[in-house]
Amino acid sequence: MRADRIAAIATTLAVLGLWQAAVWFADAQGLAPAPLGIVAATAKHLANGSLRAALGDSFLRVAKGFVIAIAIGLPLGTAMGMVPALARAIAPFLDGLRAIAPIAWIPIAVLWLGVRGDAAVFIVTYAAVLPLALQAFQAVRLIDRRLIQASQALGGGWALTLWAVILPGSIPVMITAMRVAMGFAWGAIVAAELAVGTKIGPGQGSQGIGQMMIETLYVKRDVDTLAMCMLCVGLVSLAIDAGARALGRRMAPWTQ
Amino acid sequence: MDTVISLSLARIAIEGVGKTWQGRRGAVEALRGIDLAVGAGEFVSVVGPSGCGKSTLLSLVAGFATPSTGSVRVDGQEVTGPSPERGVMFQDYALFPWRTVAENIAFGPQARGVPRRERRDIADRLIALVGLDGFEDRYPNELSGGMRQRCALARMLANDPAVWLMDEPLAALDPQTRIVMQDELLRIWGDEREAAQRRSVLFVTHGIDEAVHLADRVVVLARRPGRIRAVIDIDLPRPRAPHRNAPEAARLVAEIWALIRDEAVDAIREET
Repeated sequence: MRADRIAAIATTLAVLGLWQAAVWFADAQGLAPAPLGIVAATAKHLANGSLRAALGDSFLRVAKGFVIAIAIGLPLGTAMGMVPALARAIAPFLDGLRAIAPIAWIPIAVLWLGVRGDAAVFIVTYAAVLPLALQAFQAVRLIDRRLIQASQALGGGWALTLWAVILPGSIPVMITAMRVAMGFAWGAIVAAELAVGTKIGPGQGSQGIGQMMIETLYVKRDVDTLAMCMLCVGLVSLAIDAGARALGRRMAPWTQ
Repeated sequence: MDTVISLSLARIAIEGVGKTWQGRRGAVEALRGIDLAVGAGEFVSVVGPSGCGKSTLLSLVAGFATPSTGSVRVDGQEVTGPSPERGVMFQDYALFPWRTVAENIAFGPQARGVPRRERRDIADRLIALVGLDGFEDRYPNELSGGMRQRCALARMLANDPAVWLMDEPLAALDPQTRIVMQDELLRIWGDEREAAQRRSVLFVTHGIDEAVHLADRVVVLARRPGRIRAVIDIDLPRPRAPHRNAPEAARLVAEIWALIRDEAVDAIREET
């Protein structure tokens, strides 16, 4: 295990070194990002607060969209799991919607909601609500029928069965669904901000990390900052995933 | 013990019951023409080869399914669905994984609207009765098979149901634990007390020796479709624990096995 970790660190350092050397020897500074340039860009954007502001904007937007998606998706999926007729009526429609990629909605979202950021929230909601609803549906369907029978045989009415059996029984699957949906949502926010941002000049538009990338691309032409943004997108994904896992452990202690 | 209990005296009255399941590959007749009465305080075991419909019979009495023909009545009332008057113990226990031992046991009282403090008292008393002291705050996946079984029994008892419906509750235990739990079950049921203090039990099992050891009567089912082949009176004295290896018990086990053997062999051949 220790040796593995040393090997992984060594490999990473070697790749970074080779990368930096290649950019130097090819005299490609300004065209290709390089590790030292990325460090410098990160230091600069951390110091002037723009990186924090951009990530904060994007994250806030994702959080808004995600909360809306949970408020719609989990009750809808749970209801579908409990009422088969409802599921038969709605599931094909949801499956069909899922085939339309979230970013394909951007033009119409911009048309309806404008370019200031509500369009991006809409895209996030859309990206997250379908996996949440369909996973919640599956989670309820997969609950051991004997547990529901046990509840009924102990005198549990439908409200207690829902509250004390079906909801806790679907938490582990729901947590996984939220992790997946959060990944979709975060991916969608970058795409949405990129697309929305192109229509606007610098300093306008949606703000956020996607906007920062567009601005960097068309105005500042700074490849190191672009690479920094990409790395930040990845780091936030990892942080979200770790947070969701920790939440899962807290909310489902019996699965330990 | 009378072989035939009149239906008017019976706690559980099963009359002319048949059950056909509609499956993907057509209809399967699980039970046909079942007549059975279980009296107040009587312990009745049901044995039979695989596929004889013993679990189906239990789920009809529990109210999880409705009979295709005939009727099931408990205390004169037609069974139309599950009720806390009929306690069920499942083969794999069906404990709520997200509830601790105490919370599992308190589920029935909670469903009946018993206040929190009283629920706690009921759970404490039952935890002591089944011997789970010190484990009340454990989750089911932290318990051994025998402890889960005790927890499931306590959960069923928390409603003090008039009828106990038990579907192979000891099947998943190792042989030594099973022997211990059989005698525990009898003690809790009231093997050592007067018959008037006992509940009515319908106990489905694979184990013929287990059925003989526990029951007042053993119902032997035949398969395809499931129907009653014989009803054997077990006249061993109670409490039963000292009579586990009595010659009379061995004779009854052999008698029942002779009734089942050919079909059991057929069933195994079809399954393998």
